[in-house]
Amino acid sequence: MAEEIAIPGWKKWFEGIGDQVGFFSGFFKNIFSGGFEWSEFVRQCYEIGYRSMMLVGITSFIMGVVLIVQLRPTLVAFGAASMLPKTLSVSFIREIGPVIIAIICAGKIASSIGAELGSMKVTEQLDAMEVSGANPLQYLVVTRILATTIMVPILSVIGDVIGLFGGFLALNLRDDMSFTLYFTKVVGSIDFSDFLPAFIKTIFFGFAIGFVGCYKGFRSNKGTESVGLAANSAVVTASLWIFVIDAIAVQITSLLFYK
Amino acid sequence: MKETNESNPQPGHKGEVVIAIKGLKKSFGEKHVLKDINLEVNKGENVVILGRSGTGKSVTIQCIVGLLKQDEGSLKVFGEEVAGLSDNELKDLRIKIGFLFQSGALYDSMTIRENLEFPLTRILKLTEQQDIDKRVEEALDSVGLLEAIDKLPSDLSGGMRKRAGLARTIVVNPEIMLYDEPTTGLDPITSREISELILNIQKKNKTSSIIITHDMECARLASDRVVIMDDGKYIAEGTFESLHKSKNKIVEAFFKDIL
Repeated sequence: MAEEIAIPGWKKWFEGIGDQVGFFSGFFKNIFSGGFEWSEFVRQCYEIGYRSMMLVGITSFIMGVVLIVQLRPTLVAFGAASMLPKTLSVSFIREIGPVIIAIICAGKIASSIGAELGSMKVTEQLDAMEVSGANPLQYLVVTRILATTIMVPILSVIGDVIGLFGGFLALNLRDDMSFTLYFTKVVGSIDFSDFLPAFIKTIFFGFAIGFVGCYKGFRSNKGTESVGLAANSAVVTASLWIFVIDAIAVQITSLLFYK
Repeated sequence: MKETNESNPQPGHKGEVVIAIKGLKKSFGEKHVLKDINLEVNKGENVVILGRSGTGKSVTIQCIVGLLKQDEGSLKVFGEEVAGLSDNELKDLRIKIGFLFQSGALYDSMTIRENLEFPLTRILKLTEQQDIDKRVEEALDSVGLLEAIDKLPSDLSGGMRKRAGLARTIVVNPEIMLYDEPTTGLDPITSREISELILNIQKKNKTSSIIITHDMECARLASDRVVIMDDGKYIAEGTFESLHKSKNKIVEAFFKDIL
């Protein structure tokens, strides 16, 4: 009896994987099929990048402040207060900044793409585009996935800078450190192996956010409640993928850089 | 006047056949939506399909345009079997077919002008802005919506959205028009305007049309021939006047309020 129930579930799971692989290959096929939608791509970069900047900036600033406030008592207890800039910069640039910013972007961008495409499906706009002979994958999916793949790393770099600046302000609430000294300590403690792997993984985070948002929107059902479900599912799945990618990236990075 | 041919309507109309459907069957899981559909549409002819909700009317036209694939039977448009077409061939065929969705399916992030420009630039690949503007204005003028050219779909009423959707469909001069419940949800005056527009498009552009509707006034005004559908089959066909006199109970039920 249990087997009878389990088989359709596995079948559905494999069908889902096959569908995602098909969607993935459709994306790549359409990148190189000609007729790239530059104006829509630029519009999406603006919507995804510029309109997320304020949220990313505020979140990163708060994270920088909070980290310094939380780290300070422990480091002071060990007589290592001077290590605060280094600790913050390494932890923020390697891990906390990219992951937190990607999670913020998953919440804002993946949900927005999922809801937008889901609502286009409900209102038959996707069908209208398809029956008119236009290519919805090229116009809607390629532009959005490429925009997130490019904009999330940029947002991440901006978030890192703002977070470190927040750390500087928090440090000066209790201690007295000049900006030049703080900046020198931060820059001196980061090297190529800290920044590059973190930057590369944000490219994958951006791709995952765009891909999941588009896929969930495109595959939503034709009912109004499915728009909410698509948005919700996009956030949950994209967040999960961010942690999975991070776990893989940290293994690769530690093998290559931190033996 | 054509004779009513009930219970097993067979195509028997002279002229160039643009759509030929034979033994069409389509199921969704256990639900058999189309059981045995036979229909021919001649060049320049308006065929109205009447039927209760859920009898497979929309599924039929979605099969014609390749949005759905039939399980069995033959469906030829301009002599080509739709199910056997490659992606590019299907795209070429869709350029010749206009599809008006029940909701109008306007792209809600674009103005009405951009909605009409979309198929011209993406499908017909027009590049001359003067030519594009001329065609957009002509199409909007023909549906009496020129003043709304720079408005967003959200600024328009239901009837205006339908007319804008109609303008977007005719802007590429299709040879076949498929109307999915064009007057549903509209007041009687706007419904009549839409029905007259359908008639004008047929006369002006010499289009062949399939109109799915529950609106008997629309059927009376716009039809050359009416087909009645019930339980996935066509049960009667003929002119509006001939079906009006039918003794078939289902047909009578449709015409009982018509004087």
